[in-house]
Amino acid sequence: MLIAEPLQIAIEELSKLPGIGRKTAQRLALHVLKSDINNVNNLLNSLKDLKEKIKFCKDCFNISTDDLCDICKSVKRDRTVICVVEEASDVIAIEKTNEYNGLYHVLGGVLSPLSGTDPESLKIKELFDRLEKEKINEIILALNPDTEGEATSLFLAKRIKPLGINVTRIARGLPIGGDLEFADEATIGRAVINRSSI
Amino acid sequence: MILKSIYLKNFRLHKSSVLEFSDELNYIVGGNGQGKTTILESIYYLCTTKSLNGSSDYESVNFNEEFFEIKGKFFDLTENNVVINFINESKRKNIYIDEKQIYKSSEVIGKFPVVTLTQSDHAVTFGSPGDRRKFIDSVISQTSETYLKILIEYNKTLKQRSSLLSQIKERYSPVLVDQLDAWSEALLKNGSEIVKHRLKFIDEFNVYVSEAYKNVMEESEIPFIDYDFYGSKKVDEIKDRFNEELTTNRNDEIRRGTNLVGPHRDEFQFILNGKELRKYGSQGQHKTFQIALRFAQFFYMKDKIQKSPIFLMDDVFGELDSYRAKKISHYLKEIGQAFITMTDFTNYKFLARNEKDKLIEVSEGKAVYA
Ligand SMILES: [Zn+2]
Repeated sequence: MLIAEPLQIAIEELSKLPGIGRKTAQRLALHVLKSDINNVNNLLNSLKDLKEKIKFCKDCFNISTDDLCDICKSVKRDRTVICVVEEASDVIAIEKTNEYNGLYHVLGGVLSPLSGTDPESLKIKELFDRLEKEKINEIILALNPDTEGEATSLFLAKRIKPLGINVTRIARGLPIGGDLEFADEATIGRAVINRSSI
Repeated sequence: MILKSIYLKNFRLHKSSVLEFSDELNYIVGGNGQGKTTILESIYYLCTTKSLNGSSDYESVNFNEEFFEIKGKFFDLTENNVVINFINESKRKNIYIDEKQIYKSSEVIGKFPVVTLTQSDHAVTFGSPGDRRKFIDSVISQTSETYLKILIEYNKTLKQRSSLLSQIKERYSPVLVDQLDAWSEALLKNGSEIVKHRLKFIDEFNVYVSEAYKNVMEESEIPFIDYDFYGSKKVDEIKDRFNEELTTNRNDEIRRGTNLVGPHRDEFQFILNGKELRKYGSQGQHKTFQIALRFAQFFYMKDKIQKSPIFLMDDVFGELDSYRAKKISHYLKEIGQAFITMTDFTNYKFLARNEKDKLIEVSEGKAVYA
């Protein structure tokens, strides 16, 4: 055998990770091979802890170490606003901005008949349970501006509005600080079509 | 924009060819299978990174070789050197503009606009409504990136919605039906934008078509592209009309498990003297219409993007009588630079030429200046 089997298996496993091609997987595996055993153990333990200690918040389905995540537990957050996102990684992205002080709801995906994702395979029922129990004034839809994100936003808006809750969506369009002339044409085109009054 | 020269290495029949072009008309003459269309093909590759007739990169490599390379020297305001090569073994196509590697072909498209007039234009006037939509969409897309993006999104929505409808047809369940409204609304949003773009485009383009037709044909035939969306031509009515159609056809769509309404079913009717070309047009009228459409596209794009596209004309003169060949060669003078293939010299003596035009003879993959 040209490559020792343990190395082959490690490469195989690493290349299953998103964004990792075979070449990168090989480089990572060889790096691990050369590393100190303590470093390797630290890496292994951190991955194990990640899987064992992290769970999903029972209210918003954000990643958490407890039954409730830090955001849901916090008394400083505005509990009348919920921002709906696709994945937990979107929570991280919005939190980094420090511009939002409300709660979240992680859907766990978007509607896609082609891949068989229907409302029941998302945390949609759980969202409406929250709307019934809690006093919510506003829902912010922050799904990706692609085909499936759009349809999911339309699906949710249509069902939330009759409850008398204000539904908004995050604006999409031109990047801040960038000159109009540097934005790509389709982005500007879209921004013109979806212009708002001032 | 002008293409100054090209270099072909192992590209189909051309083992190694260097061609210098005229800023005006370039007549490329040669028998069938001698490699004259290959020259147009290579120019098309440089402009779009793709083959003209939809063949694979692999098929363009010379039979005995392992790779091909095309180099082109464009001149607009500045000089741009484009290099495209394809290597069999790695199945990799590399694109370079001014020695900088380009990783997304979308970065090239639109930079070197191109208009082609070929035998396959036959389908535009004779073919199905889909062939005409394809033509219209390609012209709008080349001048509006926004349109292209909306079109892509609309097509994705169609696929999702069609999948949902066929699932509902298979097994009717409240969970499935519940989603239909959201997908219909998404279709309505993107679809209405497409129709608005198309209405505005046809309105403008008709002027170009009748101008081009006059230049290709002497007689006073009046061409026209007729387009409406479920009977409406008014931009502010479109969304409501579309919505009405979706509501009316909802049960039918569920029963048949497919999308039945929307701009993907649009028909563009080509009209000549008030009559539908497809039903009543003669062979000659079809041909003239096809030629007029491409000239119209050229001048429309030129006005919109403020840049003269490369004009490629493959084997069109052979089919024309000497009178029209002469007329078109006069009109070509207004284009600026163009590349025209011909199988023989039958019509050549009738063409309007000047000393700046170039005649290139191609035989067995080698080019000779006549
Ligand atoms: Zn939470």
